[in-house]
Amino acid sequence: MKSFKLAASALALSLATPALADVSKLDVLTNYANIAEAGYADSLATAKTLQAAVNALVEAPSAENLQAAKSAWLAARVPYQQTEVFRFGNAIVDDWEGKVNAWPLDEGLIDYVDASYGGATDENAAAVLNVIANPSFELSGALVDASKITPALLEESLQEADGVEANVATGYHAIEFLLWGQDLNGHGAGAGNRPWTDYAADDACTHGNCDRRGEYLKAATDLLISDLEWITAQWATGGDARETVLADTDAGISAMLTGMGSLSYGETAGERMRLGVMLNDPEEEHSCFSDNTHNDHFYNGVGVQTVYNGSYTRVDGSVVEGASLSDLVAAKDAALDAEMESKLSAAVLALGKIKFAAEAGFAYDQMLERGNTAGEALIMGGVNGLVDQTKTIERVVAALGQDGIEIDGSDSLDNPAAVFE
Amino acid sequence: MRQFLKPLAFAFTLAASPALSASAPVVRDIVEGHILPGFEALATSSAALDETAQAHCAPTDPDLRAAFNTAFDAWVRVSHLRFGPTEQGDRGFALAFWPDKRSKTPKALSALLASQDPSITTPAGMASQSVATRGFYALERLIYDPQYAQTTNATYLCSLIQGVTGDIAHITAAINADWTGGYGTLLLLAGNDSFRDPREAGQQLLTALLTGIEFTADMRLGRPLGTFERPRPERAEAWRSKRSLRHVILSLEATRDMAARLSGGDAALDRQFQHALDRAHALADDPIFAGVSDPQVRFQIESLQQEIRNIDQTIANDVAPRLGIAPGFNSLDGD
Repeated sequence: MKSFKLAASALALSLATPALADVSKLDVLTNYANIAEAGYADSLATAKTLQAAVNALVEAPSAENLQAAKSAWLAARVPYQQTEVFRFGNAIVDDWEGKVNAWPLDEGLIDYVDASYGGATDENAAAVLNVIANPSFELSGALVDASKITPALLEESLQEADGVEANVATGYHAIEFLLWGQDLNGHGAGAGNRPWTDYAADDACTHGNCDRRGEYLKAATDLLISDLEWITAQWATGGDARETVLADTDAGISAMLTGMGSLSYGETAGERMRLGVMLNDPEEEHSCFSDNTHNDHFYNGVGVQTVYNGSYTRVDGSVVEGASLSDLVAAKDAALDAEMESKLSAAVLALGKIKFAAEAGFAYDQMLERGNTAGEALIMGGVNGLVDQTKTIERVVAALGQDGIEIDGSDSLDNPAAVFE
Repeated sequence: MRQFLKPLAFAFTLAASPALSASAPVVRDIVEGHILPGFEALATSSAALDETAQAHCAPTDPDLRAAFNTAFDAWVRVSHLRFGPTEQGDRGFALAFWPDKRSKTPKALSALLASQDPSITTPAGMASQSVATRGFYALERLIYDPQYAQTTNATYLCSLIQGVTGDIAHITAAINADWTGGYGTLLLLAGNDSFRDPREAGQQLLTALLTGIEFTADMRLGRPLGTFERPRPERAEAWRSKRSLRHVILSLEATRDMAARLSGGDAALDRQFQHALDRAHALADDPIFAGVSDPQVRFQIESLQQEIRNIDQTIANDVAPRLGIAPGFNSLDGD
């Protein structure tokens, strides 16, 4: 209901004040960059809380400290997943994001795995390398000294080792695996259940190499911090990402819409959600160790809506807002703006229904089980919402395009064949 | 991964759009001359495949293999038309789950053969299976991978092959029925909620065409090419049945036909397709792209890939703006 009120008020506003037609693209992009900067700064701040919890766990291993680190990880994902909408369309983000959010991973690269995981595969010779158990090993024909597990080792030698994308050594999902361990519940309820004693000292240590496991966890978390510091700086005043979107306003607006559409359609609705349902495979969960997948999808949807509305609620409750795409579209076509607003709200609600059910005890991997029609309906509701909003994003692209953005130097545009007109 | 940047350059190059008329002859020509015959051929050859499999279910049976290849050809010829009836439910993926980046198909097939799940003998049971065990790519494994042919459960293997062919026949018949029974009309008579105006219909057709061309360049050729240091011949499409190059040729022929209709017979564009096809035919000695590891052959395959990418650029940057349309979002945009 709220969404309709919002949409209706935007409509009324644009009719009442023709001045909105003059909403400056530069203002919209400045607000977009402000939101990106705030989103990454929030991701960084919550990751620092995670870092403190990880350090406490490694220094004083206990069930409580493991649980505190898990809680900090879950909290850190809330702002981060909302920033994924900045990825597509901004090359600087897309080139970087694999360091922090690569997925899916062959976790046997990092640590011990259950026998059911299998061994090396045709696709990945390093699928069970187990760096934590092996201070030195051969990789792509070269000997690697891993006696000390450092951020540099993870980043330079292990990440995407042997050119295989599933060799994910860094980022949120590597940390997630080190905190939760494999989820061996299949389609049953329950996340990974790594014992806190995997970090315990001396004889209390389970599964061996607890000191190296702690070293790995700390190195991966430190690296996450430095990576998030880097990207936050790119969106600050004078940073490359901000300067790039501000330098060419038409390309900047295009980047905003590309991010919204690509995250909605090919990435979240397609690769992450629909494929999982069709494969009935619990490994097709985005956060398969922690069972946090419902939140990954939900906050992706919220991020798309945030970019359109130009309003981001920070983790401390303060709001970053300003001129928005919605304003631009409303000035051009109020009905289209209302359509976009209502579809974004509908998609967030559909994704919310997955989250509500998951938090009430119906785990995402249960939803993926073959023959679970209620689970399939929930997930497909989210997929359909995202696909549906993509169609309207395309209409927005067309509507804004009719302003004659970026048509210089194209003779053919002066004489369109008018085939579809 | 860089693909999404391509549409950007021209996402805003739409020409000012005057009032739209009710229909566009180009859309009618593509629907009636390209899409409907393609899906009819797919449904017919799939029904024939299923009929053959009911009588000839041994993996090495020449009749089964011939029927499989004919139906698979028909799929590849429409594999760029991934919208509307093909994308309803899980149909497209259930017919063609490829690329299989995490080796789901062999794992799921092995699990099925080990469990001998009896549900595969009913259409509903087969339809409830993972898409990794369904469609042409799973069937290719069952027929051409000797590890399955050597299974001790020959009876179950036979049932599974028949279950998969029955499922293919069922899905392709449903797609064909939807195209002839209403979806084609939605495209033709734009002005509905799927296609508000003829330009949206044109955008859908353009997006499908470009996505199909990019799929051939990035997946059919890009996956086996890998990198120069690390070529990946084992990732070639349908190499067990030696169909990898054949798929490139079939998809080029099909997209050439669609591009000709969309562009109003653009002769220069058609010559680009001819050049790409010439390069593809020159690779006839290497039907599965095993030569990606051989610098000389690799160069030829890369040249073919480049030629196909050039076609993509021509359509996106020259043809589409001339038609006053821009491509929409692409299902390959994800990782």
